[in-house]
Amino acid sequence: MSTPQGVTITKTGEQGAFGGELLTVNFGPHHPSTHGVLRLIVDLDGEQIRRVKPVIGYLHTGIEKQMEALRWQQGVVVTDRHDYLSPPINNLAYALAVERLLGVEAPPRANALRVIMSELTRLSSHLVWLGTSGLELGAMSMLMYCFRERDTILDMNEEISGFRMHTSYIRPGGVFADATPRFLEMLDTFTHEMPGHIDEYEALLTMNPIFRSRTIGIGRLSPEDAKVLGASGPMIRGSGIPWDLRKTMPYSGYENYTFEVATSNDCDCYGRYLVRIKEMREAVKILRQALDRLPDGPINVDDRKILPPPREELETSMEAVIHHFKLFTEGYSVPPGDVYVAVESGRGENGCYIVSDGTHKPRRVKFRSASFVNLQALERMALNHMVADMIAIIGTADTVLGDVDR
Amino acid sequence: MIADELVADRGVSAGDQWITVSAERVRDAMAALKADGYRLLTFLTCVDHLADSSREWPARFELVYQLRNLETREQLRVRSFVDGDPPHIDSVWDIFPPANWDERETYDLFGIVFNEHPDLTRILMPDDWVGHPLRRDYPVGGEPVDFSEEHEKWLTAPEEA
Repeated sequence: MSTPQGVTITKTGEQGAFGGELLTVNFGPHHPSTHGVLRLIVDLDGEQIRRVKPVIGYLHTGIEKQMEALRWQQGVVVTDRHDYLSPPINNLAYALAVERLLGVEAPPRANALRVIMSELTRLSSHLVWLGTSGLELGAMSMLMYCFRERDTILDMNEEISGFRMHTSYIRPGGVFADATPRFLEMLDTFTHEMPGHIDEYEALLTMNPIFRSRTIGIGRLSPEDAKVLGASGPMIRGSGIPWDLRKTMPYSGYENYTFEVATSNDCDCYGRYLVRIKEMREAVKILRQALDRLPDGPINVDDRKILPPPREELETSMEAVIHHFKLFTEGYSVPPGDVYVAVESGRGENGCYIVSDGTHKPRRVKFRSASFVNLQALERMALNHMVADMIAIIGTADTVLGDVDR
Repeated sequence: MIADELVADRGVSAGDQWITVSAERVRDAMAALKADGYRLLTFLTCVDHLADSSREWPARFELVYQLRNLETREQLRVRSFVDGDPPHIDSVWDIFPPANWDERETYDLFGIVFNEHPDLTRILMPDDWVGHPLRRDYPVGGEPVDFSEEHEKWLTAPEEA
């Protein structure tokens, strides 16, 4: 099924159920509701969707190829950029994978800071989703409310790492810098204020008749389909399956936090909305616990072969100077082998598969992105719905096209 | 249980269990593993071992299938080695539906041909692209940029690969 260049509507010649002919319509790639550049070739019978073929690749930037040309510690910067709404979680997958190959483990304080950054990111990613999805379904003010809180989170990112979006904060061996007192203060205020803000969002949407009629019963994905199609994150939990990697295969000390896995048996767009709202509340709970129990101690592994020595040491120790020089010219090498580490991002299972051939650069880095797999379920969800419902379905699938195309 | 005759080799890498199966029997092995409870294919990809001296490799391309048992939470990595120009292997998309796009991606970026795949076309690169960018002999470089004074020095995609 190919669409001629420059033609947006083609007659297929197939007879539809309403006495008309099926039309092939091009949706995107520059449609404002495609969350980036997603192109869909849709076969329509009247206004009903009969076939959907996603065409992706418009944001392909060769991230996996770039990783092969970068040294192990340089790769972190690239991992920020594929799923551009949750950089620290991508950093975490990469860092955990490299640490597993090296056989080192991050100290407790680093783990707690990693959890804090992951949950802040989950919140900011869900806020972008909520704002834009609300906007697409006619709730214009959602975007402004959500971006207000998201900006607070970006301010915290800036305070702890110096960057607002692409933080590169979590890196193999630990984290980039310790939390400043001002960061902890901001986080404290945030955890107290955020539940009230989530109430505000719910007051605007949860019982809103327009929002409900546009999402309830739309984009159904049965639990069996969700499993078979490999969906993860809010997509599978919105179909009633309590699969959350933070609970089922814990990493970075998530087993020490008390939180519930949000699920919904609605299996539709509204269910996925409820799951994300609940997840935001749980994220605030985790942040509170992490802040209350933040352990003291180092934030990096004490290994001069993979992390540079502290600045003070460079003035007194020749060995430190040599380590510093080696790290920033050649980098470190990682023992041969391969490893797969998966973490739960705002969208689902974001994994990192790394193959090392024992040199100072990776042989192969593969990002298993949740958006790429979840997007395959789109046709299943959109079948026989109106073309306008497609907006709600793409919205609640919450794909980030940078993550799909990498 | 997957039959021992299907498993050519097994081991543990950085805590991850893996087995190797022969490329001809990959469909049998995957079907057997699915019957064993590994019902989810997390991802499928390829590794190019061109000029990789870390050990002896049976072939240049290694197909990697990461499987997961959702009940016991066990994970298993299945490897399979292929050579040839272009390398061929059987598709597993009807056993594991998520493999559909993963196989297209592997074809696009590595040039592995999956037999019996319903729609083996490029997925990330443009349809008229020449070469398979994730192969190790494909240069890291850029596309020529119009109006750039440096564009002649840039490495461009080879005419054919």
